Amino acid sequence: MFTYREERRLFAVLSVIIVAALVALIQVGAARNGTISPLSAVVESVGALFEATIGSATVATRGAMQSAARTPHLLRENAQLRAQNQTLSGENAQLHEALSSAVQQQKLAPLLSSGSRAIAARIVGFPPENEVQSVTINRGTRDGVRRDDGVINGDGVVGRIAEATPFISKIVLITDYTSSVPAMIEGGRWWGVAKGNVNSVRMEYIAQDAPIHIGDHVITGEARSFHSGELIGTIVQIQRSPTGLYQTAVVRPAADLNSLDRVAVIPK
Amino acid sequence: MAIALVAQVTFLHFFTVRGASVSLVLIAVIWFSILTDIRRAAIFGFAAGFLEDMLSLGTGGAWTISTTITAVLAGTLSRAFFADSIPLVTGIVVVSTLVRQLIFWTVMKAQGFPPGLGTLHFHQALWQGTLNAAFVIAAMVIYRHREPLEVQAA
Repeated sequence: MFTYREERRLFAVLSVIIVAALVALIQVGAARNGTISPLSAVVESVGALFEATIGSATVATRGAMQSAARTPHLLRENAQLRAQNQTLSGENAQLHEALSSAVQQQKLAPLLSSGSRAIAARIVGFPPENEVQSVTINRGTRDGVRRDDGVINGDGVVGRIAEATPFISKIVLITDYTSSVPAMIEGGRWWGVAKGNVNSVRMEYIAQDAPIHIGDHVITGEARSFHSGELIGTIVQIQRSPTGLYQTAVVRPAADLNSLDRVAVIPK
Repeated sequence: MAIALVAQVTFLHFFTVRGASVSLVLIAVIWFSILTDIRRAAIFGFAAGFLEDMLSLGTGGAWTISTTITAVLAGTLSRAFFADSIPLVTGIVVVSTLVRQLIFWTVMKAQGFPPGLGTLHFHQALWQGTLNAAFVIAAMVIYRHREPLEVQAA
């Protein structure tokens, strides 16, 4: 006579045998057909999921440990690279400055060639409140600079000396309101007066019948500060009135007055 | 003031917005005027303006006169208020910038410059007022953030 407990154990054994037989049948059937059984597919999928999870965790842990182990080395390397970067940035800035300076120097070279009386100078200061268009140069009366001397750079006319002290001089730029330079239209030889107009130059008093065009070059006329022929700029606009006696041209200065560095003072 | 002047005649020229740049000299003058009495403010303003005239070309005494009057004005305006109020100081800076420019161009006209330059420079003066105000706000905010830290450290 079976007890209740032995009966349950027997059922369990029989169930296991039946399930095992079913599994075996499924596996054998799949093997015969040459396919993957559903059971194998489920087991492999679950296994792959575990493998991926554990693999990722292992890689992450190993990476973290390696990083932790390499941290002092990385910090040193980072500091070295930062220092190197700073040095290279400084050198780069110096080279850019040298290049820019060399370009301006090269443009000035013909003006300063042997036999020329031109005085090379560098811009060292600006007006404190930008109220007037002027700059200060590092040459003064000790170097031969005199009031009203013309100042040019490699591109064209910059201005004239307004104040000269022994060590420095102040240049009033051609765009200042107080600047007034006798000028000519290149080619036609039409005369006018180039007056400063903050960001540009207005060439006034050009004869009404003068055939001037946008793009024409404006050059200096022979006068107190300049010899004739120095380039002032290019005409960008013409203002004519049918009843006026004169016409006016707006001239864009040839010299970039916002980025002056080296100039030449031309004593007359 | 010396540092402000050196900065203005050297590198501040490269940081201009529509022809205007921050006037560190004016800000220093206003700051001093707010903190001290009117007589000392006037002396400081006179010194600052005089030095600016020395470093400028053809301004005669325009900066001296305009900066002195502006210092007195800023000192007078701040008497009735708290000197550490950001809106108040900013307002004084903007008003002082515009008044100073107005006086400057009036004096320049009296010295023989063509009329209308003040109007021509009004736009530039507005920009300078804005830049000065922005600088003062930033400086005061930084100062206020630093102050509690220093107290804690003490």
